[in-house]
Amino acid sequence: MNKLLLIINEMREEAGHESIESLEASMDLREDLTLDSFMLAELTVRIEDEFDVDIFEDGIVQTIGEIIAKIEGV
Amino acid sequence: MKWIIVTGDSRGVGREIVHQILAETDFGVIGISRSSEDAAGELLAIYPDRFKPLSYDLTDVDGIKPLYMEKIRKIGPIYGLVNNSAMAYDDIVSNLNVQQLQTMFQVNVFSAMHLSKYAIRDMLLHKTQGSIVHISSISAHTGYKGLSMYAASKGAMEAFSKNTAREWGSKGIRSNCVVPGFMETSMSTTLTEDQKARIYKRTSLKKETDISSVASTVLFLLSDQAKSITGTTIHVDNGTI
Repeated sequence: MNKLLLIINEMREEAGHESIESLEASMDLREDLTLDSFMLAELTVRIEDEFDVDIFEDGIVQTIGEIIAKIEGV
Repeated sequence: MKWIIVTGDSRGVGREIVHQILAETDFGVIGISRSSEDAAGELLAIYPDRFKPLSYDLTDVDGIKPLYMEKIRKIGPIYGLVNNSAMAYDDIVSNLNVQQLQTMFQVNVFSAMHLSKYAIRDMLLHKTQGSIVHISSISAHTGYKGLSMYAASKGAMEAFSKNTAREWGSKGIRSNCVVPGFMETSMSTTLTEDQKARIYKRTSLKKETDISSVASTVLFLLSDQAKSITGTTIHVDNGTI
């Protein structure tokens, strides 16, 4: 979770958004974290680099909880 | 060091592209073809650190992800991709064989797109403003008897290139096509002298396209000199009409 928070905050800072304190499983990637399609693409490759999991491979991912489930192989 | 992937590196235009990249730039080259490792001796002797041949059969589209994850990304960050490998399934449409058509599209289109996917993902990861070059064919622009299916695979890649250029331009990633005319390569060995003569008669310069001219155009599109060029096609075809 901490590594994921770090990645998301780095990307938010690059896009000129404020960093966030913590991640909640219910957070929506687009609505709550304002990630656009390019930021989601970058998030995908950074997560893949870190955890060897392609979060979008089987379809659209909406929330932080869904990403964590994929990373943990649930 | 950043790397350029060149498919079909073991012969013809691909081999010449690899030679020119290694001789004229500081990039490393990752060669991908069925016989890449067998044909690598000479290049490895001159460029032991800058040339990495990977033997791979590009009809295996599903294997490209593991190829990238287990081999390519461990070599280093990708700056460029040259999708040069191609199969020519040459017949009139009324003889269309689905199996052969599928195999050709696997190499010419699906694998080329899949490699583009991983090249772009690698560029995103490393924030690389990279360059992709697809080798198309004059047959996608000028009709030839027997080449409709091959030409369709090249037309698909030209459309793909224009749209990926639009899609990834904001990240500084470029995509272009080089459109060679007929060259004297292994791909054209099935043509008779008479067929070749008729093809060359349709060019302004009345001869076969020079392989090194095609390769140097690829090198130009890969380079910073072409930093304002994306989403386009450059014909290197002796002025085919």
